[in-house]
Amino acid sequence: MRKFLPLLTLGLFAGCTTVLETGDKLQRGMTPPDAVNYATTKPEGGFTTQTNDNRIGDKVELLAVRKAKTEGGFTRVQFDLRNGSALRRTVNVSFEWLAADGTVTESQANWIVTPLEPGALTTVTATALKAASAECRLRLLSR
Amino acid sequence: MNKLPLLLCAAFLVGCGTPAVYKDPSGRDLVVSLDKVNIQDFATAGSQMLQSMVSSPAFAAGAPVLQLGTVTNDTADIFDTDLLLAKITVPLVNSARVTLLDNDPTANAARGAAGSKADVPSPQFVLKGKILEDRSNAGSTRQSSFVFQLTLVEVKRGVAVWQDEKLVTKQGTKNAVGF
Repeated sequence: MRKFLPLLTLGLFAGCTTVLETGDKLQRGMTPPDAVNYATTKPEGGFTTQTNDNRIGDKVELLAVRKAKTEGGFTRVQFDLRNGSALRRTVNVSFEWLAADGTVTESQANWIVTPLEPGALTTVTATALKAASAECRLRLLSR
Repeated sequence: MNKLPLLLCAAFLVGCGTPAVYKDPSGRDLVVSLDKVNIQDFATAGSQMLQSMVSSPAFAAGAPVLQLGTVTNDTADIFDTDLLLAKITVPLVNSARVTLLDNDPTANAARGAAGSKADVPSPQFVLKGKILEDRSNAGSTRQSSFVFQLTLVEVKRGVAVWQDEKLVTKQGTKNAVGF
């Protein structure tokens, strides 16, 4: 009986979601969290970046950004991303559209999960639905 | 001393479980199920297909008249396929990129009662589709793939002018939270 009860306690430890979640929270607390990073197109061409997670530079490279107009006159943007690391990475992307005055006109709320093999390149294409949408802000979250 | 482990066990039993909390439906810590299509799967497939559809020549200019066809749920999971269609039609209608026909009986009756002489536009395109699934496993690892297929049919010629297929694949031994 004396041996059984500690084993039961151990079993409860292993099966208890609260204990596991606490362990997960502790682990997350010990490592810096993944922050959202941004790349925004500029009216005069090119793009600006806002890096909030400095480790993303070791994981994902933003190679190029292209901006064009569709036949109907809507803005279309392509972002070329590359996994520059030697490990398989998952990058999560979504985007927002901004009008010429900087107001947000459209947004894609959900994250698109994009697994990238080492060295793999992917192109994220975003087409505006509204004519007022002039610039695209890509949101990047790496894990 | 013999009572201490018992008390410890009881304390853990009482402390187990997570109280329900509200989550951002577009956030990163939603439940990921292996045996069903999650709400974020509809959002992912829908937003990707929307981007593909607006790039097609059918949407090059104006607001084409669209009628929704049938989207067949060919999976073992029971859900309303409007969960997928709404991800496409809501942004299109709200940005005036399509004229969406609505055959709601109440609206039709109200229109008739009001004596409206306005012509109901004829559909130029019909959007139809199918959702399929494929399951496999290796040992205790399970894999579920959900296939979202949509086709835009031009009514006048009866031909498909746009098609797309998106796969959402999930793998693991049990359901989890977050990506």
